[in-house]
Amino acid sequence: MPSSDSEDFESADEGHSSPNKKERKKRLSSSNYSDNLELDHEPQKFQDQHSTTLKESTKKQANPEDGWDDFDIDEEATETVTEQKESHTSKQESTAKTGPTQSGWDDFGEWGDSKVNEESQDTMKHQKQEVSQPVTDHPAPQPKSEGWGWGWGVDSLLSTATAGISNLTTQVSQGISTVLETGIGAPDPEELARISVKNNDSKPKSAESEEIENTEAKSDQNVNDGAFQFGSLFSGVTKFVETTGTKVIAGGLDTLETIGKKTMEVLQDGDPGLAKKRAMLGLDSGDKLVLSQVLREAKAKADEEDLMREAKREAKEVHYETLFDDFEGLVHLEALEMLSKQVSMRIDERLRNAAPDKRHDIKETLQQVAELCEMPEEEDDEEEQEEISEDTSKPDAFHERLQRATRDIGLKLQFQPLIKQYTEILTWFEETETDIAGKAIYKRAVSGLAQTTALCVELYHKTAEMLLVKNRRSTADEADALTQMTVVLTRHISDLATQFTEKLSGHPSESKEQINGYITNVFLEAGNSSKYIENAFQLTLPIIQIGAV
Amino acid sequence: MAYAYLFKYIIIGDTGVGKSCLLLQFTDKRFQPVHDLTIGVEFGARMITIDGKQIKLQIWDTAGQEAFRSITRSYYRGAAGALLVYDITRRDTFNHLTTWLEDARQHSNSNMVIMLIGNKSDLESRREVKKEEGEAFAREHGLVFMETSAKTAANVEEAFINTAKEIYEKIQEGVFDINNEANGIKIGPQHSNAGAGGAGGAGAGGAPPGGCC
Repeated sequence: MPSSDSEDFESADEGHSSPNKKERKKRLSSSNYSDNLELDHEPQKFQDQHSTTLKESTKKQANPEDGWDDFDIDEEATETVTEQKESHTSKQESTAKTGPTQSGWDDFGEWGDSKVNEESQDTMKHQKQEVSQPVTDHPAPQPKSEGWGWGWGVDSLLSTATAGISNLTTQVSQGISTVLETGIGAPDPEELARISVKNNDSKPKSAESEEIENTEAKSDQNVNDGAFQFGSLFSGVTKFVETTGTKVIAGGLDTLETIGKKTMEVLQDGDPGLAKKRAMLGLDSGDKLVLSQVLREAKAKADEEDLMREAKREAKEVHYETLFDDFEGLVHLEALEMLSKQVSMRIDERLRNAAPDKRHDIKETLQQVAELCEMPEEEDDEEEQEEISEDTSKPDAFHERLQRATRDIGLKLQFQPLIKQYTEILTWFEETETDIAGKAIYKRAVSGLAQTTALCVELYHKTAEMLLVKNRRSTADEADALTQMTVVLTRHISDLATQFTEKLSGHPSESKEQINGYITNVFLEAGNSSKYIENAFQLTLPIIQIGAV
Repeated sequence: MAYAYLFKYIIIGDTGVGKSCLLLQFTDKRFQPVHDLTIGVEFGARMITIDGKQIKLQIWDTAGQEAFRSITRSYYRGAAGALLVYDITRRDTFNHLTTWLEDARQHSNSNMVIMLIGNKSDLESRREVKKEEGEAFAREHGLVFMETSAKTAANVEEAFINTAKEIYEKIQEGVFDINNEANGIKIGPQHSNAGAGGAGGAGAGGAPPGGCC
């Protein structure tokens, strides 16, 4: 065919033709029809036959839509054809969407017009033949996996022999499949592009909207689609590569930005505005001028901070709650609380499960135990203290009282830590007889009270645990013992407080006001200690009670 | 002592597997071959640093004896981490792991990080439980595993600190609600003060006092 034909065809192109496309077209039109006649591969024959038919039918009815009529009245295997055609169209559609040759649509927007002539038909034919050529060069490649391509080709070609324009679709699409089969690894870009064009070419013929809808619905289920999926796969891949590329670049930029930001954050951490680092690197101009100034300021600031730190540290040192926590008082109290809660729940459960009449008894017993554990009035056991000989040392007397108080509890309680701590405090009193600062006495007082209290709470906690694993409970004795112990301990606390305040008031050198402030605080903390101890005792109550119910 | 966070740990496992020795080695860096039986629970605490933050580990070392079982169960609540210890020279202590694990899972919060520890790794000649068995058990139950020796201090630091790291990660991930003390995590006093003033200043301003106190 003369190349001018294709030029004519181009002119029908609504000016969408690009140089690229033009070249493609030229190449296509340069392929000789007669070449294909020599090919006597069977499918090829069919193809030729097809194209002839196609040409004839188009000649007869210049309007491509008539081709549909032909198709409709097709004698055989209409359904298969439809399906195949449908799947083609869907592929074509997807290809058309993504392909670089979208202008191809426009090529055929007017294809059904009177402009369409034989020449254009010929061009079409040439294109198709060009595409089919590779097949003949490599007959039936990879028959095992790709054989269906051929099988389908033969089938559909036979069945659609008179199918008019829709056949073109089939033809072209098959062309794609064959191209893909032969050059599956790396199809020539030009080839691919041409395929796209062809896909677009055939599109308008089946452009009835309803048809497209069907097409989309059915397209993925047909086994025969395989080949065409390659077609869409390639365009899909192209698109994918494009979008992925964009994403990768965008993502890479994002990452770089994040790294940059993070780096700045790290650099500025503890160094706002990078002032220090700039100074260090000598980046700030004229920093030498203010260096001494900077150093002076830094020193002043450091001194100030030191002072604040010192004040804070001292405040902390005499902070009762913190000290109590450091001596593990808080954690023992917490553990005792947990235990107490747990046991209370068990008592409640027993109450719930008991028969109504029994329930009353249990409640009564619980009440009795609670009464036993009520703290006696201050004066009650003055005489007991008298019994301990005056000769015994203070720690020993304290130990003696504790043992006496708890002798009936039926447990071996550990009082050593308390005694030891008391001894330490007494030793401290003796060793620091002379000119010690009032503040130091105060500090020691708070810390001593906090530690004693912590040890007391620990004692209750341990006692509670041991009571719970005790084999034989004697509730009345336990209640009495712990009540007595509480009395001894609270008295011990006030005793300690008294000794510390005596020490403070005997202090000559410091201002009266300051000393009085310390004394008030020591009594305050002693009251705090007693509260902790009584609280611990109350938490132990359910543990005593459960032994009775 | 000032800390950013406090984590509550519990140490559980059969009696005599070396729970108290592990604690002593971690807190005091010493080993005491003869130990009194633990009554109920004993405590230990140590400050560690993770991610530049001071973290106080408050360790609840429970009694392993059966008699204390019901008591120690009431201490599981509110633990952020647990060290489940067995003795590699006594198979029965390994066999009881399932019971301990059930106990722990039942009485503690579900996010608790559990570290399985095969202790006494220095007694290789008397080994009854292979390391692989410990590993398999840990894998099966989603625990972290380590063999330690409280005597030689091998892996003791790691056991406690790795557990803390995992808890810390969970905090960062938002798994632990640090404001709910039932999770075994408390925010340090300084931290909450700084937090009230302004979260922005807490990072730079809160750090220096932490270093000095």
